[in-house]
Formats: sequence, structure tokens, C-alpha cells
Amino acid sequence: MSDAPDRQDGRIHLEIEVEGLRKTFGRREVLKGLSFSLERGGFLSIFGPNGAGKTTTLRVLATLLTAGAGTVRVAGHDVREDPMPVRRTIGFISHNPMLYLDLTAEENLRFYADMYGVADREARLTELLERLELSHRRHDVVRTYSKGMRQRLAIARAILHRPRVLLLDEPHSGLDPRAVDILDDLLTEIRDEHTFVMVTHNIAKGLEWGTRLMIIENGRIAYEHAAGVDPESFSAVYREHVQEGSVL
Amino acid sequence: MAILRKDLIRELRTREMLISMILFVLLAMVIFHYAFSVKAGADLTYFTGGMLWVTFIFAMLLGLNRSFAQEKDERCLDGLLLCPVDRVTIFLAKTAGNLIFLLIIQVVAVPVFTLFFVERSYAGDLLPFLVVLLLADVGICALGTLLATISMNTRSRDLLLPIIFLPLIVPVLIAATGATTLIFAEGAGFGGLLARVLFLLGFDAVFIVAAYGTYDFAIGE
Repeated sequence: MSDAPDRQDGRIHLEIEVEGLRKTFGRREVLKGLSFSLERGGFLSIFGPNGAGKTTTLRVLATLLTAGAGTVRVAGHDVREDPMPVRRTIGFISHNPMLYLDLTAEENLRFYADMYGVADREARLTELLERLELSHRRHDVVRTYSKGMRQRLAIARAILHRPRVLLLDEPHSGLDPRAVDILDDLLTEIRDEHTFVMVTHNIAKGLEWGTRLMIIENGRIAYEHAAGVDPESFSAVYREHVQEGSVL
Repeated sequence: MAILRKDLIRELRTREMLISMILFVLLAMVIFHYAFSVKAGADLTYFTGGMLWVTFIFAMLLGLNRSFAQEKDERCLDGLLLCPVDRVTIFLAKTAGNLIFLLIIQVVAVPVFTLFFVERSYAGDLLPFLVVLLLADVGICALGTLLATISMNTRSRDLLLPIIFLPLIVPVLIAATGATTLIFAEGAGFGGLLARVLFLLGFDAVFIVAAYGTYDFAIGE
């Protein structure tokens, strides 16, 4: 489905398969039967108005929410029946860094490394802290970090266990331009090693990286297209579905 | 172990829970001292068990709220739930952490309370007292951790936790107070104490098994 599908043995390897996904909160149906798939190495950019169900979709993929109906498989494992291998396979980056503010960068990464059973813990966290230019602050508590530094550390947390799939929930949200550049450089650097699903309002980033584009509106897929779409025409579609359809 | 170590490092660095819990316990002791000073020289030994356990339960409420508030900050709970560990492991680690914090405040509080209120020496009954203390603590922490997890995802969690925790902890309060009073006032008599110890053991088992069966749901959505 992407421009460069993984066809090593002649078959496309689907990393993510979603069929008839439904999710209800109370009496409100947030997801109304989503179906899509993404091949290994693909990059799915998901757009949509606030409250459309984008983040809920991502959280179901991440095993943080249970699907009400339908099947969701990540790396061949059913997220409901077999969540442990799914959790080992995925890394999750959102605008909330999921870091303990009263622990140092090193203590945070050491904690998550232990939780994921990372064998080469010290070498891995040293490598990541250097790669993310945080070595000089490794002994400082995260509370003293800027938003951009926290987000860089959050990336280290998310890729610490070498996941195959990265789920990004508005990763650029709240970052200053310098922090956005650093984040983009990092994502570009690790682009080839992972399959990505990114929820974003940033059209330029979504089009730049996406091998597949999707707009979710009111719990349904309103638009789906492979990469290579003309930015002008996509902007028109985006305005139609996201701005006019916004629930805010 | 990683969760417990993380909670201990964090608490030793901030001392948020321990300082508030210890201060609460000491202030409660002072308030009890004046509240019960109705007659000079009155023997308060029979009230000490009740004072102690009421104080510990309310102090634990303070700690339980804090222990999960840090997981909600910056959505750390999501980070925890994304890890490939069984939810029951999270429950056991959180319960163990709360138990350690409760034991620390008891190390401070019990000698001070008994010094002020208990007239008879209970040195010979220290072992039965420690057994009662540990069993009651496990019950308080197991039930408290389970309920704090449930209330954590609600908007009014600070109000909800006491409302659901206090009625359910009453059986532990009755058994622990009865056993402690027996030890402080009369010495550890075999019959009365054994019944209470067995009750505490049963309570612990029930709520650990209940947490084992329900924690996945409790911590989930």
C-alpha cells in the first residue's frame, strides 16, 4: 500500500491490520467501524477534526484502550487477545512525555529499560542520551528540562526497547521551532527502521512523511489516499473534512 | 521490582508522602492527647489501639492519593501501561511501596503513641503485635491500592477514595483495634488474638485475590 512495500518473499507484510473497529465511551460511539492496514515500513498520517476518533484509534493500537468490536492486529498479534507481544513491538510518542519529573533522565530510561527487559541497558541508554544530545543533563531531574528536551527524552523512552512500530500522537504539539527541527531530524534518522502511524494537524509534516494519508471524521474514514497527492488538492480536502467538519 | 525501586527513589527525593504522613500522625497524636485528657491520670491504654489504627488509616489515605497522583502527572500511567508487564505486577509493586511507607511511619508513630498512652509494658508481646501490625497493614495497603486505582480515573478522585475506602476497611479496623488493645492492655491471650489474626489473614487473602481478578479492569480505561 505504500510506495515501497516490504516484499522480501514476494508477499506484502502487513504490520497493522484493523477490521471493523468500533469503540464506545458511555453512550457515544467514537469509532464506527474503521478498517485499514499498513505494510511494514509504511508511514500512515492520520488527520481529522478534534473528537473525530484519531487518538482513540492510536490508543487502541497501543493496547491502552480495548476495542468494543472488530479486530486489531499489530505485527501479527491481536491487541486484545495477545497484548504483551504488541507492547514489546510498539513505541508511543505523544505530546505528553510520560516521564517522571522527579527522576533524572538516566533514572527514567533505566526504569523503562527494566520494564521492557532491555538486555544492554546501560549501553543503550548512554547511546540514546548521546544521540539525543542529552548526555550533559543525564543526572538532572526532568522537572528542570525545557519542553523540547522532555520531548527528546520521550523519544528515547519510546525507542529504548527497539520497537518496530512507532505511534505518534501530535508529536509536534507545543514545541518551539528549534525543538521541532530536532524532533524532525530524529524521526528522519530512524525513518527506515520503523513503521509509523502519526496523528497530526500538521499537513506539511503529514504529507512529507506519509506513505499513506487518512482523514477520520466522526469515527469513520472520510478520505484515504496513497502518498504523492498534490498538496494543493489535499489542502482542499483537508479543509472540507477537518475545518468545516470540526466539532469544536 | 523496577516500579517499587522507582517509587522509592522518587519518594526519597521529594519526601512528599512521608513528610505529610508523619506530620499527620504526630498531629493526630497531639489532638488525641488533648481530646482524651478529661481526667488527670486517666488510663488511656484501652483507647490506644483505636487511636493508632484510625490514625494509620487516615494517614494512608493521604499517601494513597499521592502515590497515584504522580502516575497521572505527565500521563506516566500510560507509559506504565504500555510496558509489557502484567497488570497484577503493577498492583503488587504499588501495594509493596505503600506498605513500606506505612511501615516507616509506624516505626516513628508506635513508640511515641505507646509512650504517651500505654501504661503497661508490652515488650514481651512484641512478636504478636508485629504480626497484627503486618497483617493489618497488608489489608490496608492491598484494599487501598485497588481502590486508589479505581478512583484515579475519576474526576473527583480525592473525594471518592475516602468514600469507598473507609466503609470497606472497617473490618480491618475492628480486628486490628481489638487485637492491639488486647496486647497493650492485657497481654496476648491466645484465643482472642488468634481469632483476630485469622480474620486479618482472611481479609488480606480476599482482597489480594480480588485485586488479582479485577486489577486489569481497574487500571484499564
